Amino acid sequence: MDFIFMWEAFLTLLPGLPLTLELAVTSIVAGGILAAVISLIAVVGGPIGRGFTRGYVFVFRGSPLLVQMFLIYYGLGQFRPLLQDLGLWVVFREPYWCAVIALTLNTAAYSSEIFRGGLQAVSVQQVEAARACGMSGPLLFRRIVLPIAVRQALPAYGNEVILMLKATALASVITIMEVTGLAGKLIADSFRAFEVFIVAGAIYLAVTFFVTRLLMIIEFWLSPHLRMRPPSLT
Amino acid sequence: MTDNNNGMAAVSVRDLRKSFGPLEVLKGISLEAQEGDVISILGSSGSGKSTMLRCINMLEVPDSGEIRIAGEMFALRKGRHKTEPTDRRQVDRLREHIGMVFQSFNLWSHMTILQNVIEAPVHVQKRNRAECVEEAEALLERVGIADKRNYYPAHLSGGQQQRAAIARALAQRPKVMLFDEPTSALDPELVGEVLKVMRSLAEEGRTMLVVTHEMAFARDVSSKIVFLHKGVVEEEGDPGEVFRNPKSDRFKQFLSNER
Repeated sequence: MDFIFMWEAFLTLLPGLPLTLELAVTSIVAGGILAAVISLIAVVGGPIGRGFTRGYVFVFRGSPLLVQMFLIYYGLGQFRPLLQDLGLWVVFREPYWCAVIALTLNTAAYSSEIFRGGLQAVSVQQVEAARACGMSGPLLFRRIVLPIAVRQALPAYGNEVILMLKATALASVITIMEVTGLAGKLIADSFRAFEVFIVAGAIYLAVTFFVTRLLMIIEFWLSPHLRMRPPSLT
Repeated sequence: MTDNNNGMAAVSVRDLRKSFGPLEVLKGISLEAQEGDVISILGSSGSGKSTMLRCINMLEVPDSGEIRIAGEMFALRKGRHKTEPTDRRQVDRLREHIGMVFQSFNLWSHMTILQNVIEAPVHVQKRNRAECVEEAEALLERVGIADKRNYYPAHLSGGQQQRAAIARALAQRPKVMLFDEPTSALDPELVGEVLKVMRSLAEEGRTMLVVTHEMAFARDVSSKIVFLHKGVVEEEGDPGEVFRNPKSDRFKQFLSNER
């Protein structure tokens, strides 16, 4: 392996990292908010709400993210006059926003199921204890249901965050020059796919390493009740 | 009807009925607890005793009947499918005055023992936090787990958790305490420490309704025994009297099985 070339490749790909992170952070934040709303509708929205959210999840979880991205970027191009009339063309003509929208809608579908699971796994007993002392509505949700649900959903949601980080690589196929996009370009110039993809993979690996550490810290911080007491305190 | 039902009985239950689907669990139960009464509610499994207790704070909404807490009646109305509270806020307000202790403790797992105890006073009753902490520490001292204040429920034994749950209920400054089989989920050697706390509460004159299988507690501590069978009050009265001379055959049979 040519380490000098790999170092050069690393320096070529690194400028794509901010864009990768921007795509990931934007779609994870937006998707997380959307997922929170969807999961709430699923849990408290009755049969209609549950039906709507089921449909949403079925569509966006059941079809490939790549197809969704193509549909939004290339597919909606067919409706350019209509989108221009609606003033939405400024969004849909930008590959960046098309990628963000596809990633957001996709992660919202997965995350809403994770959040719904977290909410529905809050035990009836803990809720009853809260009701019995006069809690209800938003207070009950904020003080009891949400904190327990977050703790239950976090490990699975951490997985989703990492999957999303890596899914941003798909944005390269709609012309976005993030890490994978730059890697493709470099391969076209150098014909050295192996070294370039090794470097690209290593960059993602390094980022996910930090993300998993961060998630571990958050989980540790939120779960003192699951850890054994240090012997000196018992 | 008599006037004293509208008076200031701490808890007054009149003609309580409740069905789950086709199963009629409570078939017209009436009960009254004066201030300072300790009522032990006995009965075999399926007799409706827990359902009755859970109706008193509306964890189960009765199909019909009247429940009063210190004279104030829970307002109920006929909904489309079932009876429901007329005013959710009234239910919340009355529940503030009813401390409930559950069979499986039901402490909030994400909070320390101290946080569990101050939760309702601080966030429901909006009392001053520092005062609540002080009061909570005194309550934890009283139930004998002051040193566990910063532990999480999962780090405590069942008996300690139940004592914490009792402290949590007491922190509401309740007018009445409901105990739903508080020792049934405990190992035999841990039952005593919980009963000791309950005994001391009875001695200081707290109004308590206790669903229990602890015959010694029922006989020695309570001021009144209510025996439920198949959703009706089969026998009731002074503990000394009913244990010595049980009138109903069902209660006799129940007593012989429990001993």
